[in-house]
Amino acid sequence: MPCELQIYQADAFAARPFSGNPAAVCPLDAWLPDAVMQAIAAENNLSETAFLVKIGNDYDLRWFTPAYEVDLCGHATLASAYVITSYLEPLRRMVRFHSRSGPLEVTRDGELFIMDFPTQPNERVKDTAAVADALGTAPLELWSGMDLMAVFASQAEIEALAPNMAKVAALPLRGLIATAPGEDCDFVSRFFAPGAGIPEDPVTGSAHCALTPYWSERLGKARLRARQLSRRGGELQLENRGERVLIAGQVSLYMEGRIQVPEAGLEVAA
Amino acid sequence: MSATREIPLFQVDAFAAETFSGNPAAICPLEAWLPDDVLQAIALENNLSETAFLVKNGEGYDLRWFTPVHEVDLCGHATLGSAHVIATHLEPGRESIGFMTRSGKLEVTRAGALYSMDFPAQVPTRVADAGPFAAALGAPPLEAWVAGKNMAVLASQADVLAATPDLDTVLALPGDGLIITAPGEDCDFVSRYFAPHGGIPEDPVTGSAHCVLTPYWAERLGKSRMTARQVSRRGGELTVELRGDRVLISGRVAPYLEGRIFV
Repeated sequence: MPCELQIYQADAFAARPFSGNPAAVCPLDAWLPDAVMQAIAAENNLSETAFLVKIGNDYDLRWFTPAYEVDLCGHATLASAYVITSYLEPLRRMVRFHSRSGPLEVTRDGELFIMDFPTQPNERVKDTAAVADALGTAPLELWSGMDLMAVFASQAEIEALAPNMAKVAALPLRGLIATAPGEDCDFVSRFFAPGAGIPEDPVTGSAHCALTPYWSERLGKARLRARQLSRRGGELQLENRGERVLIAGQVSLYMEGRIQVPEAGLEVAA
Repeated sequence: MSATREIPLFQVDAFAAETFSGNPAAICPLEAWLPDDVLQAIALENNLSETAFLVKNGEGYDLRWFTPVHEVDLCGHATLGSAHVIATHLEPGRESIGFMTRSGKLEVTRAGALYSMDFPAQVPTRVADAGPFAAALGAPPLEAWVAGKNMAVLASQADVLAATPDLDTVLALPGDGLIITAPGEDCDFVSRYFAPHGGIPEDPVTGSAHCVLTPYWAERLGKSRMTARQVSRRGGELTVELRGDRVLISGRVAPYLEGRIFV
């Protein structure tokens, strides 16, 4: 008999259905062979599938793209906390995960899920030529950290960007953030990471580890509201706490179901 | 703000001997049509090559297919998947299903676990100058053919498996994408299909490619009924039969997911 597993698909950083960043979440009783989890993630074909195993009072958490396991994924962690606090342990309000990136905590406050991440520091970069060439327009400022961060004057400029993906992929670092003041929020952004196989990410928690300290200092406030202006769109609430950034968002459940894993896959991998 | 609606969702692998192979499709049976933008949003959220939507109409079903970006005129593997969902969940035991689609009426028949679809044969014509095919493949093929899609015939299954076509060069060929094919080691023929013009570097399993492959191999092998493998990374298994100017394409469907979505 094939093995049956529960599966959820939820949109993280989504204030409404069909927005935010989709992730699949598979709670497991025990770890499956890596090849089986990889096959499930490939079959789901979402940017990330999260697998959870309860250990004591905490959860071990692993993330797989359709192609390989990754070290950190914020939006699938938010979605995992949603599944735990909505379905697995409905009374729970704080979940501690153990991951390849160490312990991660998510707190639920009503409909809001709050994650605590390390700040990503940025340094000002003088030469904007390569970024201007990739984006087709020169930013006011350019900063460098885990990613490049290009600052523009207006939300309209961010919306109008049509980057040359080959040129973006040729830039150093993981990806390119473009940001500007928001029209109905503190700031807006988009995130391009074609070098990592993601031309444009719908919503990117980790980019906000760099965006939050920048905008917090510039606007002179610790708590910020942000929108990521991808086609799907995402909404985030942020708080600058010095070395740490609180990143919060809502989660919208899309799908709940059961999947079948062939016995052959389990045998081969075991 | 309208109320949330629950819709059944299935994900199945078509032309698959077992789950995790074949070509995945999502299938959503509906009681009545939803607005097109909702169907499109569901297909984008599923992020599979195609999501099929079904509404029962008399004895048959109205069927529409959406990729993550637009509605398409024809999709064989999601039709096979839809027939499986109907014969397994909606009308268990049903053996023949008529679908009304943008491409007219499509009939799927079931014999046990095997689902069959009937398509027009596309008889390929020989291309005299195989140069552009050689450029795309990095080596000259034994033969070059075209029938809407380009088709390069190679010597062996190993050659088909080892091929790494240059997709920019494939894009420059006249016709849609490139089929490569050779005799199979444990089946009549094997193939792969590269479709960069449709945004698909390599398709897992392609019913429409077998409308071209079947008349070619039927003539070459002198038999009308053949077994075929598409040797993509996921892999697919098909039984094909040439019936005059039609091709009967058959495959199994492996279940993966059964759930409900909240719209």
